[in-house]
Amino acid sequence: MKTFAKLAGAALVLGTLMSTTAVYAKDIVVALVPKVAVPFFDDVNNGGKAEAEKLGVKYQWVVPANTQGATQVKVIEDLIARHVDGIGISVNEPKSVEGVIKQAMKAGIKVVTFDSDSANSGRSMYIGTVNKQAGVTMGEAMAKAVGGKGEVAIVTGQLGASNLNERIDGVKEALAKYPDIKIVATEGTEDDLAKAVSVTEALLRGHPNLAGIFGISQVGGPAVAKVLGEEEFAKHKGQLKVLAFDDLPDTIKGVKDGFIDGIMVQRPITMGKLAVEHLVAQIKGEETASKDIDTGVTVVTKDNLGSYTK
Amino acid sequence: MSLADNTPAPRGLSGSMGKLAKLRHAREFNVLIALVIMGGAISLFTPYFLTVDNLMGVSRAFSLTAIMAIGMVMVIITGGIDLSVGSAMGLAGLVTALCFDAGFGQTTAVAAGLAVGAVFGLVNGMLITAIGLPPFIATLGTLSIGRGLMYMITHGVPLTPSTPDSFALLGQGYVVPVPLPVVILLVLMVVFSLIMIHTRFGRHIYATGGNENAARLSGVKTQRVKLAVYMLSSLISSLAGVIAFSRYLSAEPASGFGSELDVIAAAAIGGASLSGGIGSVTGAVMGAALIGEIANGVVLLNINTYAQQAITGGVILIAVSLDVLRNRLKGGR
Repeated sequence: MKTFAKLAGAALVLGTLMSTTAVYAKDIVVALVPKVAVPFFDDVNNGGKAEAEKLGVKYQWVVPANTQGATQVKVIEDLIARHVDGIGISVNEPKSVEGVIKQAMKAGIKVVTFDSDSANSGRSMYIGTVNKQAGVTMGEAMAKAVGGKGEVAIVTGQLGASNLNERIDGVKEALAKYPDIKIVATEGTEDDLAKAVSVTEALLRGHPNLAGIFGISQVGGPAVAKVLGEEEFAKHKGQLKVLAFDDLPDTIKGVKDGFIDGIMVQRPITMGKLAVEHLVAQIKGEETASKDIDTGVTVVTKDNLGSYTK
Repeated sequence: MSLADNTPAPRGLSGSMGKLAKLRHAREFNVLIALVIMGGAISLFTPYFLTVDNLMGVSRAFSLTAIMAIGMVMVIITGGIDLSVGSAMGLAGLVTALCFDAGFGQTTAVAAGLAVGAVFGLVNGMLITAIGLPPFIATLGTLSIGRGLMYMITHGVPLTPSTPDSFALLGQGYVVPVPLPVVILLVLMVVFSLIMIHTRFGRHIYATGGNENAARLSGVKTQRVKLAVYMLSSLISSLAGVIAFSRYLSAEPASGFGSELDVIAAAAIGGASLSGGIGSVTGAVMGAALIGEIANGVVLLNINTYAQQAITGGVILIAVSLDVLRNRLKGGR
């Protein structure tokens, strides 16, 4: 027992002598909490884990069992009880976690949100896609693609989804600068591929001169590509400019096949990396005034299809 | 028409058998008129509605709902309901995709998809007949289980395996100029109409929903009839799922989500009574056609997307109300 204590003491002294920061870093524990298990968050996990290894801190990935607000509250309570030093969370339900995030901050734990925010929780910062800004990027890319004039249409997912509506606001803001571009229709699809296909078909029949389509949610890209592959609409291929969101396999295939001109891809790996980086900086006291970070979107086209980073 | 002679009188109809025959025909006729009026109204405002391409496109779009409505209306006529049709459809498409993904041939893949329907139907039927659960609860449970399984398998990402070209024909092919799914719909419609009108099984379905006790006392094996209609409903839905996968070649995690509402609405618009005993296969198919026509019209006419669902609901209520009022005026009751 005594020998063990001596050895441990010696190791500690040795460690301190070797590098002062490494000892601190080794004691730091940060946890990232996604919404639920989907591939998007696998990317976040990879980014976070790599950054933690780089900084030499302990890292935990805690996946809630379901998307209910209450489940994440329980997860954070557990993390407080385990005395972790930092928590990064993608919030399922902004209101329900406000209390428990405040409680964590009070207990001295640093908290940041990534991907999905709880703005009134007192978290130090939000790291993620600012959807309105992504919409602006998309609108400007479309203006360029159609040469500043023509009829365009918006195909969205659930009509009530706030992230999608923010993207639409951004698109409209960007297009306001181009008086010759007219948004002739905005259609909901309930994120159902079958519905999105028939809506797109009807759109193209009702607006034969359509110059561009925005796929605001993840079904838009695959649906438009599917329709343009049909014989009846083959004449629109190349003529019709199509911008989509999220790099699902079918959307990427649509770019390869020439049906889709560009995809707005979010940066989950960057989100995970930045969340860990900023948490550790805050825990060490190196960062005191934190500001929100827009991780932005990459516009993926045929040219950078094989080389883009998330 | 001889159907009046061999169809037992459903509950709530005090008149003669002849009246029933007229009534059922009148109901289908109403939906047909609604279809024509709605089509005419849409054509007044857009030249793009009455084109062969558009009408065929619309038919293909509503064909899956209509196919599922054929199974649903039989369940509804027995006095039941099948909320699990969307899950059976989605899961069948997904299982077919999984088989292709694992390298199986198309016969195996399609058979596996249809097997999903058989399992769904057997579970629904046993829960309802052997355990005695109300159909609403039993099929609500299997709806949820099916939906959960889809998310567990897909993790929220569509499955897009490579498939042989011949398989894609099922959903994307044509019998010039009619899309193959519409041909399948028409064949199923004729076959099941004949079954409902001219076979003993069809008459037993009406009898079970008309007055279950009376039917049982007169020798109809009502439990067996119920098991059969739930099996048929799930099997037909799984066929719709296989066709949907063939059409899109992508098994979506949300495929079929909420489609049970459209399917039930189609049967109701087509004259089926949710309290059982009344309804017809052709009526349900025309009900689905009306819903599809409205969905197409609102996009062609550029009606505000936020108003579309409200308009669809309004048209459904008006159509069914007019039907009920007309029958009352004619002295049906």
